[in-house]
Amino acid sequence: MADEEPRNTSMYPLDAKSYNIMQEIGSGVSGVVYKAACIPMNSAVVAIKAIDLEKSRANLDDVRREAKVMALFSHPNILRAHCSFTVDSHLWVVMPFMAAGSLHSIISSSFPDGLPEPSIAVVLKEILSALSYLHDQGHIHRDIKAGNILVDSDGSVKLADFGVSASIYESYHWSCSSSSFCNDMAGTPYWMAPEVIHSHMGYGVKADIWSFGITALELAHGRPPLSHLPLSKSLMMRITNRFRIEDSHDKNDKEKKKKKFSKAFKEMVAACLSQDPSKRPPAGKLLRHPFFKNCKSPEYLVKNVLQVVPPVEERFKEISINSDSASPIVKVRRVSGWNFNEDVLEMDPVFPTENDDKCTITCVQHHGEQIEDKACCPDSIVMEVNKINAKEEQELPKDVCTSPPNSTVVPKQLLIPNLISLLNSLDVQRVMRVSRNGENGHAD
Amino acid sequence: MKGLFKSKPRTPAELVRQARELLVYLDVNGTSREGKREEKMAELNKTIRELKSILYGNSESEPVSEACVQLTQEFFRENTLRLLIVCLPKLNLEARKDATQVVANLQRQQVHSRLIASDYLEANKDLMDILVAGYDNMDIALHYGAMLRECIRHQSIARYVLESEHIKKFFDYIQLPNFDIASDASATFKELLTRHKSTVAEFLSKNYDWFFAEFNSKLLSSPNYITRRQAIKLLGDILLDRSNSGVMTRYVSSKDNLMILMNLLRESSKNIQIEAFHVFKLFAANQNKPPEIVSILVTNRSKLLRFFSSFKLDKEDEQFEADKAQVVKEIAAL
Repeated sequence: MADEEPRNTSMYPLDAKSYNIMQEIGSGVSGVVYKAACIPMNSAVVAIKAIDLEKSRANLDDVRREAKVMALFSHPNILRAHCSFTVDSHLWVVMPFMAAGSLHSIISSSFPDGLPEPSIAVVLKEILSALSYLHDQGHIHRDIKAGNILVDSDGSVKLADFGVSASIYESYHWSCSSSSFCNDMAGTPYWMAPEVIHSHMGYGVKADIWSFGITALELAHGRPPLSHLPLSKSLMMRITNRFRIEDSHDKNDKEKKKKKFSKAFKEMVAACLSQDPSKRPPAGKLLRHPFFKNCKSPEYLVKNVLQVVPPVEERFKEISINSDSASPIVKVRRVSGWNFNEDVLEMDPVFPTENDDKCTITCVQHHGEQIEDKACCPDSIVMEVNKINAKEEQELPKDVCTSPPNSTVVPKQLLIPNLISLLNSLDVQRVMRVSRNGENGHAD
Repeated sequence: MKGLFKSKPRTPAELVRQARELLVYLDVNGTSREGKREEKMAELNKTIRELKSILYGNSESEPVSEACVQLTQEFFRENTLRLLIVCLPKLNLEARKDATQVVANLQRQQVHSRLIASDYLEANKDLMDILVAGYDNMDIALHYGAMLRECIRHQSIARYVLESEHIKKFFDYIQLPNFDIASDASATFKELLTRHKSTVAEFLSKNYDWFFAEFNSKLLSSPNYITRRQAIKLLGDILLDRSNSGVMTRYVSSKDNLMILMNLLRESSKNIQIEAFHVFKLFAANQNKPPEIVSILVTNRSKLLRFFSSFKLDKEDEQFEADKAQVVKEIAAL
């Protein structure tokens, strides 16, 4: 299934001059995505993600990990970078151009109430295939959502954005405590699994299955559960336990006839959204679920979805014009859990009982078209994880400090080890004098 | 699925032996009949994957320590590691990744509370030569790089790499145009210079002259933004480490070093400025400043004080402010 050939990196030139930037097709907090032509390759069209490394949010280790991950995965449903190189203080990641853009953008431009079920099945099946590959490799994507699923003009579907992905094999750079769990936070709040939100419990590949289930709901309804709410705290506090999305939202329900979904679909999603991670089926098993039995091939998307969608460049222009540049920041009340209501294919959120200001998640909403910048995702989530970590490991190993999900929460100074305080400076001076006396200074 | 038709599951040691035989075959018969080679290759890929799942467990089971021990023992009883490293370029991408993960894991496996991988590498240090040279080959750089970083977890192996000529090559590797490879090399370089404190301190004091000359000219003065940024960060990590205080004292007594740091403070990049400050403050905080340092600081006093008055972090930071106040006080008092 996977194309086994090592990528031929030498094909794509590693300098900016070889690329002709055509237009902007997406933007995130610390980067922009362009459509470009690779001049020496007969002006082949590519997408270039230009990440501004100077933006404080872009942690270098984070960026490095993504580059490596994107270089080493080889699967038809995973977006693989052609190459990456730096241009001044920007990192350019040259990728295949996915002409139809992300499913998030497809939905918002042409399917505000969600995709028809056969199309959902096609997309989900392709994504499951990617997930099955990733999980077999010991990788957790950690940010599965429609915004990270890209579609090409031939209907092919690829999973993108490995900015927050983690390898359970690479404990070297991650605070993974055992072979199958991670303890740091990553992802985008609406899609996050309960055990990720309560991340002191650690989580594994099953967190992706949860997000996959939420993504299924997103494709079905045109948005992830709860995302349409004006998320002001006051409103959230009034929400009671078994709140139902349709109740408050669709007052103009009349014209929107109830969407009907198949039993197989509902069951499949319900399985993904089990509270207990161990009850969620692995990706490989989900692929054999009856829901995917008579699944169409990706070409089906061309006629049934892509034909009605304007080109990605136009969509981006529209977004840029319409979007309110003021403040894309919203406060999201932390959700302590979800109960999936299988009958209506909706999630019922469970909110924490106490009202704790610290439970607020700051979420940066992107109108980013093709990508949501990976660097901003972990950063946008500010939670108490850090305190938990700090408690658990008195002295955080340095690797942990520089790992991305913590990076914004950890004050910059923590990234620079030791001797920062005045006290320590004095200490240095003392050592200086000591080693001066003993010249040729032997430390200690 | 295939397991169902296998008569007997192979023991970890048997799997290692089989991998070894296949590797030997591959090593010797690089150009034998296509069909036969393909077949052996497929078998090898499968065997390596099985080794991986013994070491890491799989979706059904956690790794069993007894099996890991057997595997590790058999692996290092003979030259399996060497064969695997040498044959890596012949494997396909998935098998390369599996092999890399297997090698990485083996470095941490204890047999009778000994890291036998360390003993093996100790006797086969030339393997490091192969791994380091991997940065010259785009196809295998990331695999060899990852293996190398795991191997230098062993102090004696890190010392070998530091003391070899290889360390000089890193000054070029970390500036390769390919970002994924350059940044991998840069991670390895950092690991070499920060992980084993006593070894690093010894290396730096013995090799002070050429090392910092290279560091200053090739890295801190590189035209490449990311090289400068990573280098200044690394320099801070090195100099601020207590075990390197001797080296630090020497570094902050040099006029040339001070000038490089002052140039970095003037960069348009805030990240570089901040990292540079954490090194610059050591020059200022030094209570035994050589006259030439004092004279530079005095000459530039007003410029420096003006610079620091507007030098702020985006986020409020008490420690940074305290450091800055201390530096300003030192300079003003000169």
